[in-house]
Amino acid sequence: MASYYDIDDILVEEEIVSVIFQKAASGVGIDPSSETDFIEAGSKVELPFWLAHELQLRQAVSVNVPPCFNQKTRLEIQADCACVDLRSRCPYFYEFGCKIAPIVGDRTIGFLLLSAFKNRYKEVLTKAHTATIAVGSKFWTILTKEEINLYETAQSAMASFKKWRMGGARFQIASILGRKRKPTE
Amino acid sequence: MSCSGGCHLMCSPVKILNMYGRKACQLVKEFASGEKGQLTPFNNDLFEQVVSECSQHHLELQSLIRKMQEEGLDVQTARNADHYGALIHLFSIVRNKRCLTAYVYNRAETVRNLLWKIGPVLPKEIEEKLNHWEEEYFKKHSAALKSYMSKALVDLTVDMVPPKDPYIQVRVLEDIREGIVLSDDKNPNFARHSMHFLKRTDAEKYISRGLMEELTG
Amino acid sequence: MAGQSDHELSLFSAEELEFIAEDEIVDIVPNLKMDPLCLISGDFGPFTPQIVTQVPLWLAIALKKRGKCSICPPQWMTVEKLTQVLEVERDSQEMSEHLPFHYVEISRLLFDHARDNIPDAYMVRSLIEDIRDVRFHKVETDLEGFNGRTIAVKIKNLSAMEVNIVRPFIGRALQAFYKHDSSELIPDPERAPDRRPQVAHNAPRRQLRR
Repeated sequence: MASYYDIDDILVEEEIVSVIFQKAASGVGIDPSSETDFIEAGSKVELPFWLAHELQLRQAVSVNVPPCFNQKTRLEIQADCACVDLRSRCPYFYEFGCKIAPIVGDRTIGFLLLSAFKNRYKEVLTKAHTATIAVGSKFWTILTKEEINLYETAQSAMASFKKWRMGGARFQIASILGRKRKPTE
Repeated sequence: MSCSGGCHLMCSPVKILNMYGRKACQLVKEFASGEKGQLTPFNNDLFEQVVSECSQHHLELQSLIRKMQEEGLDVQTARNADHYGALIHLFSIVRNKRCLTAYVYNRAETVRNLLWKIGPVLPKEIEEKLNHWEEEYFKKHSAALKSYMSKALVDLTVDMVPPKDPYIQVRVLEDIREGIVLSDDKNPNFARHSMHFLKRTDAEKYISRGLMEELTG
Repeated sequence: MAGQSDHELSLFSAEELEFIAEDEIVDIVPNLKMDPLCLISGDFGPFTPQIVTQVPLWLAIALKKRGKCSICPPQWMTVEKLTQVLEVERDSQEMSEHLPFHYVEISRLLFDHARDNIPDAYMVRSLIEDIRDVRFHKVETDLEGFNGRTIAVKIKNLSAMEVNIVRPFIGRALQAFYKHDSSELIPDPERAPDRRPQVAHNAPRRQLRR
C-alpha cells in the first residue's frame, strides 16, 4: 500500500476515467461550457480516478474500463510487447492497472500487466547495465514511469560500482549543488 | 459488467468533471518534475490558490447540506442529488488536502536532507527556494541536531563515507574568508587555488559545499 | 555531510563494502620489530622481521603504506588459480565457489596498495576482470528468467559486490511482479469474501474487536 504522501501514487490517481452516474448529483462544477451544475443519473462523465473511486464505493457511479486496458490495446501489447509505446497510453500503466482492476472487476487486467511487465523488463535490465540511453532516444520514450524507475535503479547501482572501481576522490560536492561552481573568473 | 448500462445513453454528450483537484495536482507535479533530491522554489501562489479552493468547496458543501435541512431531510440518511453533490465537494477537499500535505511533507524531507548533505549554512541559491517556514524548520532541525550531537559527544555529520586516512590533500576552489573553524585552532589562508593538507573531518564540510575539492593520487 | 551514498538505492555503497572487506585476514611479512597490537577485533603480532604473521587487511595496508611490510597475496590470486576459475566459470551456468565473498574488493585494495607484491599483477588483474564479467553476465541471464511466479531468487556463491549491484534492481522487479500478480489484485471470491461494494459509508459501523 502506497503511503499517503507518495507523490507517484497521487499522480496515478489523477488519471481520468469515464463513469456512468447511477445517481444524480447537484451543485457541482462540470466543464465550463456546461450551463448546468446538475448531473442526471445515467450521464456519462469523465473524472479523475480519485473521485471515481470514492463515488464507486458508494455505488453512485459505475466505472468503465479505461481505453488503455481495452481489447484493442491488449492486442497491440500482445503482438509486440517490448516495443509498444506504453507511456503514451498511460505513463502509470502498471500502477493505474493495479488500481483500476478491482474497481472494474476485470481479472484479466492483472494478467495483462504481468505479461507486459515480464516481457519488457528484460530489455530494461540489459540496457541498464550495458548502454547508457540518451534521454529522448526511442527506447526511453516508450517506457512507463515504473520501468524508468527500474532502469534508473539498475543504472545507478552499476554506475556507483564503476565509480568505485575507477577510484579517485571519496569526498565530493553534495549532489544537490550540482556540478556548478567552476570558479567564476 | 461495468460497460453495460451505457448503451442506451450513447447519444448523450460526455460531461467532463476534471477541474476539481487539478491545481493541487499541478502542485504535486511541480515537485515531481524536479530531479530527485532537488528543490524547486516553493510555489506560494499556487499553494494559496488550492487552499482557497478548499474553502470554496467547504462553502458549497455547507450550502448543499443546508438545502437538505431546509427540505426537512435527514442529512445522515438522505441519498438525493444534493447528497451526492456534497460528497463530490467533500472528496475534493480530501484530495486537495492530500496534495497539499504531500507537497509540504516531501519538501520537508528534502529540507532535512540538506542539513546532512550541505551542513547548517545553506548557499543563497538554495535558501531562496525555501518558504519562510521551511527556513525556520531547517534552522530548528539544525539546532536540534547540534544540541543532540553535543550531548552525545559525537559529530554525526562526518565520515558518511567509510574513512581511510585521517588527513587528505585538498585544493580550495573559492576564497573562504569567514567562519573557518578547524579542530587544531589554526587559521590558515584558504585563498582560491591554494592547496592544503587537512584533517579529513575538517575538510569534509568545505568539500560538500563545493568550496574545496579532494586531490588524489 | 559528504554523504553521497543514496541509501534508498542499495543497502551498502561500494565504499562500505570495501570497508567491510578490510576486516579480512591476510598474511604479511613485516620488516620491523613490534610488540603485539591488542585491538578490539583481536590481538595481532608480535611482529618480527621476515616472520609471516596474520593481520586484518586494513592494518596490512596501513603498514605497507609506511613501508613496514610486504603483503602476501591470497592463494586464489595467482595466474594459475585464476585461469582455472575462469574456465570453470565459463563452462557452467552455476557460479563457482572458488573465490572468496569479497574477491572484488580485496583484489582492488591489493592492486591499489600492494601491486609490487603480486606476481604477474597485470595478468592477475585482467583475469579477475574477465571472471567478474563472466559471472555478472550469468547473473543477468538468471535475472532474465524471472517470471510472474517468482517470489524470491536464489543464486549460489554470489559475491558481496555482485549481489550489491543487482540487489536494488531485483528488489524492485520482484515487487512489481508481486504487485501485478492478478490473484493479489482481485481477491478470489472463493477464498476471500468480496468486501468491495458493501462498504457504503452509511452502513452501521462494526464494533471493533476488543
